[in-house]
Amino acid sequence: MKPDGKVVLLGDMNVGKTSLLHRYMERRFQDTISTVGGAFYLKQWGPYNISIWDTAGREQFHGLGSMYCRGAAAVILTYDVNNLQSLIELEDRFLALTDTASTDCIFAIVGNKVDLTNEYALLLETEEENRPEKPVTGCISTKVQKQVHLDDAVALYKKILKYKMLDEKDVPAAEKMCFETSAKTGYKVDYLFETIFDMVVPIILRQQAEGPLQTVEITNYKSAKRTKSGCCA
Amino acid sequence: MSLKAFKLVPAVEREMLMGDKARINVECIECCGKNLYIGTNDCFVFHFLLEEKISAGKITFAATKQLHKYLGFKKAVIELKAASALNRLLVLCDNTITLVNMMNLEPIPTGARIKGAVTFTLNENPMSGDPFCVEVCIISVKRRTIQMFMVYEDRVQIVKEVSTPEQPCAVAVDGHYLCLALTTQYIILNYNTGISQDLFPYCSDEKQPIVKRIGRQEFLLAGPGGLGMFATVDGISQRAPVHWSENVIGAALCFPYVVALDDEFITVHSMLDQQLKQTLPFKEGHILQDFEGKVIVATNKGVYILVPLPLERQIQDLLTSHRVEEALVLAKAARRNIPKEKFQIMYKRILQQAGFIHFAQLQFLEAKELFRSGQLDVRELISLYPFLLPTSSSFIRSHPPLHEYADLNQLTQGDQEKMMKFKRFLMSYLNEVRSTEVANGYKEDIDTALLKLYAEANHESLLDLLVSENFCLLTDSAAWLEKHKKYFALGLLYHYNGQDAAALQLWVKIVNGDVQDFTRSDLYEYIVDFLTFCSDQKLVWKYAEWVLQKSEEVGVQIFTKRPLEDKVSFNPDNVMNCLNKYPKSLVKYLEYLVLDRKIEKEKYHTHLAVLYLEAVLQLKSVTTDNCAEFTETQTKLHSLLQQSDFYRIHFILDKIKETDLHMERAILYGKLEEHDKALHILVHELKDFSAAEDYCMWSSESKDLPYRRRLFHMLLLVYLNPDSSDCELVMAAVDLLNNHAAEFDAARVLQLVPDSWSVQLLSPFLTGAMRESIHTKRMTQITLGLAKAENLIYKHDKVKLKGSPIILSDKKLCQVCQSPFCEPAFVRYPNGGMVHTHCAAKRLMNPNMTHHSQT
Ligand SMILES: Nc1nc2c(ncn2[C@@H]2O[C@H](COP(=O)(O)OP(=O)(O)OP(=O)(O)O)[C@@H](O)[C@H]2O)c(=O)[nH]1
Ligand SMILES: [Mg+2]
Repeated sequence: MKPDGKVVLLGDMNVGKTSLLHRYMERRFQDTISTVGGAFYLKQWGPYNISIWDTAGREQFHGLGSMYCRGAAAVILTYDVNNLQSLIELEDRFLALTDTASTDCIFAIVGNKVDLTNEYALLLETEEENRPEKPVTGCISTKVQKQVHLDDAVALYKKILKYKMLDEKDVPAAEKMCFETSAKTGYKVDYLFETIFDMVVPIILRQQAEGPLQTVEITNYKSAKRTKSGCCA
Repeated sequence: MSLKAFKLVPAVEREMLMGDKARINVECIECCGKNLYIGTNDCFVFHFLLEEKISAGKITFAATKQLHKYLGFKKAVIELKAASALNRLLVLCDNTITLVNMMNLEPIPTGARIKGAVTFTLNENPMSGDPFCVEVCIISVKRRTIQMFMVYEDRVQIVKEVSTPEQPCAVAVDGHYLCLALTTQYIILNYNTGISQDLFPYCSDEKQPIVKRIGRQEFLLAGPGGLGMFATVDGISQRAPVHWSENVIGAALCFPYVVALDDEFITVHSMLDQQLKQTLPFKEGHILQDFEGKVIVATNKGVYILVPLPLERQIQDLLTSHRVEEALVLAKAARRNIPKEKFQIMYKRILQQAGFIHFAQLQFLEAKELFRSGQLDVRELISLYPFLLPTSSSFIRSHPPLHEYADLNQLTQGDQEKMMKFKRFLMSYLNEVRSTEVANGYKEDIDTALLKLYAEANHESLLDLLVSENFCLLTDSAAWLEKHKKYFALGLLYHYNGQDAAALQLWVKIVNGDVQDFTRSDLYEYIVDFLTFCSDQKLVWKYAEWVLQKSEEVGVQIFTKRPLEDKVSFNPDNVMNCLNKYPKSLVKYLEYLVLDRKIEKEKYHTHLAVLYLEAVLQLKSVTTDNCAEFTETQTKLHSLLQQSDFYRIHFILDKIKETDLHMERAILYGKLEEHDKALHILVHELKDFSAAEDYCMWSSESKDLPYRRRLFHMLLLVYLNPDSSDCELVMAAVDLLNNHAAEFDAARVLQLVPDSWSVQLLSPFLTGAMRESIHTKRMTQITLGLAKAENLIYKHDKVKLKGSPIILSDKKLCQVCQSPFCEPAFVRYPNGGMVHTHCAAKRLMNPNMTHHSQT
């Protein structure tokens, strides 16, 4: 079955891409091994089949990213809120991979593993409706100071718009597209994917009407030289 | 892991190729139908015929050498490709592709060839559409150059040359698309438009790239980290990669498997779930290719065939090791390779087997879904439960068996809790399917099994099952219910099977305590109800005495509560005969006849009146103050005496003459129209004035106004009786007049009223009478006025109608009979139609005859 639209998860190794997808699709959190190559799930969203690609963050597989992103309707750039480098990598290493995505591709920036931060308990209180499956009762003292703040993600989002030469007015607001999640507790995981899926539907409709809007890589475009045809016996 | 998907079978042994010449190696192979070609490093091409033999379920291959031919160089044969439609074999040796005859390996006379090729491939999805032409794509010895050729039987023609950004080292073609391994990356290049698309980087210097077309518009590529990557001509990946070892040499496809070769192993991955399924040790392999679905591997010295095991076998193996998910995925994929009919049968069976595996693990949700989608014959499931299938069932489990279990006892190993869970599952499952098409043909088996489960588990749905439509087999179910002492339910079963007598007999036994079953505490009432609705008179009579003995009041319902539309009618006299012994029942029955059925028979009415009367008298004698029962009975008596017109009045009157039942007497006199007597009793003996007024009311209820006035007047006369100047009576008279002004003829009353009464005293009466009189006068005036107006309208009409002359000639026809008028008299209707007088008269008598008259 051919999927109607594609969503790709990008981000450094160990930030929790596989765990997020697993939490959303299988409704649980379990030990993962570092992804080899890539994997994908199909998700039925209304009448559409959306394929969600989990990519490998390891340097070794970096080259596959462009291909996985080709024609994507949404890219979820994932970092670890306790690891500033993982956010920096998104800009340095992963952003360029999205050049092959659909031109109206939407971007989301997701800081995962918030459960490890000392802000988590506070978040839970203010977000009654997004209760994770079990309240975290561990003592706060084991938690660490969050390294990356939502503002940093918002700043990155704006840089992405600049990179893509997009006007802020034409795309979803940064505040709406920056998420903080925990694959471990399930915090905001459904919210993340469902928000993205809802935004992907109009893109699917557009793609179905006009065919994929792919970036033509002009640098690679070479017109074949026509040689005189003839028998060379 | 550890699925057996392939078997490695030798095809060409080394002796057949090189005898004892140690330095001769297999360089390349080609297989086309039964023809197997092998190119060697010493420039020989061998041609074998490959015969597949199956003996004792084992596949072997016998290769018979047809020919071998030396090509005349000191170089290795690099590549062999057959073009069977042209009967040509394309041989790449010394950078030249020569065309030779497929059968005798002789070069074709024209000597057509392609020069300057490093390697080449055929387009398996050619664009030309010419069946006698193959499209060949070569990597040219010219740097960064790909050339496309059309190869015919005896000539070749170059059609395209494209240059690539880097030096290509491997190529595959599909339609217009080239999939190329360049020095640092893989790309897709449309040779028609020249547009290219990067796939992903790959260092061809470090590791040998693999580019393999695996189907329409899709390629399999060796990726970083030992990945087998899938890519389409659009430059996207539609399948997750498979994970090979780092040093894969060759890859081939044999749906649904990707087979890969490295220096030590042949690995088999599923394209469906990307999992490694099988590893076959294979040393020193250097070629792995698939040819029309046949996978061939070769070492330097020998050629082997990877024979796929039938998918069905593989699926069964997976099921045997309880790998249900994998089995189902594989089964679904097998749809491609198996004819539709056969597939559906197989797939259903697999679903059922998978269902039983889940079932045995108590994963009932999954099991249920699989049973449903696999359209399992429910009896397969029921038969696992000992004793549930009816003894008469002809069911035999399918063969080969769908599972390995003899029955639940074996499955549960005596674990009672597990047993309960299994039983509960079957209950809910059967209950769900019994009303669906799954049950068609086995309804008896299902319902009987369900009944047995319910009975055993003491489940409340047992009764629901039996009182609604069901197919429980009688003998089997009856024995089971008896065994489990479900006598009430057994009765229901009998009833459902039309054996009401047996049902009743059993139930009566329960009520009598002969057998024990506490299902219903109100079983007696249930039986009464049952008999009430029972259409078998004999049966009702049989148990009538029994129910009446138990309770006169309730028991009599079997006669009194019968449904109105009841076909069987009981003769009331027979019933009464029977009820004579049960006085309370008798009263109820008579009430039923007289009050409910409104039977107008003197006998019943009198009988009921007498019974009431006796009861009243009896109660009166034992109780002093007005107890509730007494009042109730008396009220009933009164209303019967008042309302009924059928009892023998004198007979009753005689009976109460001597008693002090004044009220009753008054009523009876009233019935005899002896109102003065009645009123006398009420006023003088009972001194109950309101009763007297009521009497006047009900006695005149259905009569006209003068009758009522007469009664009231009579009462007034009784009050004003000059013999007794009782002050109380005078007051009563005043009240009567004032309260019922309308019931009197005022003129007559005024003559009667003593002069001593003041106007004040009678003012309400007088006002009322006055108002009434004025009202009557005005109403009459209005009526008169209206009548006059109506009369005037008619007059007006008449004048209008007379206004113009009507001419009658013999040309005019009567509208009724259509014949001319012969005499001057005629009738003219307001709408102008003219008819004979006799026709009009006829029409008046028979209004249906309107046919011609209206135009
Ligand atoms: N505490 C916590 N740990 C997490 C969370 N998400 C993932 N992890 C852990 O982080 C580690 C890496 O998670 P993965 O999901 O494998 O990360 P990944 O991004 O898929 O990594 P690659 O596949 O190598 O690119 C695992 O040990 C997870 O258990 C989270 O929300 N909270
Ligand atoms: Mg991962």
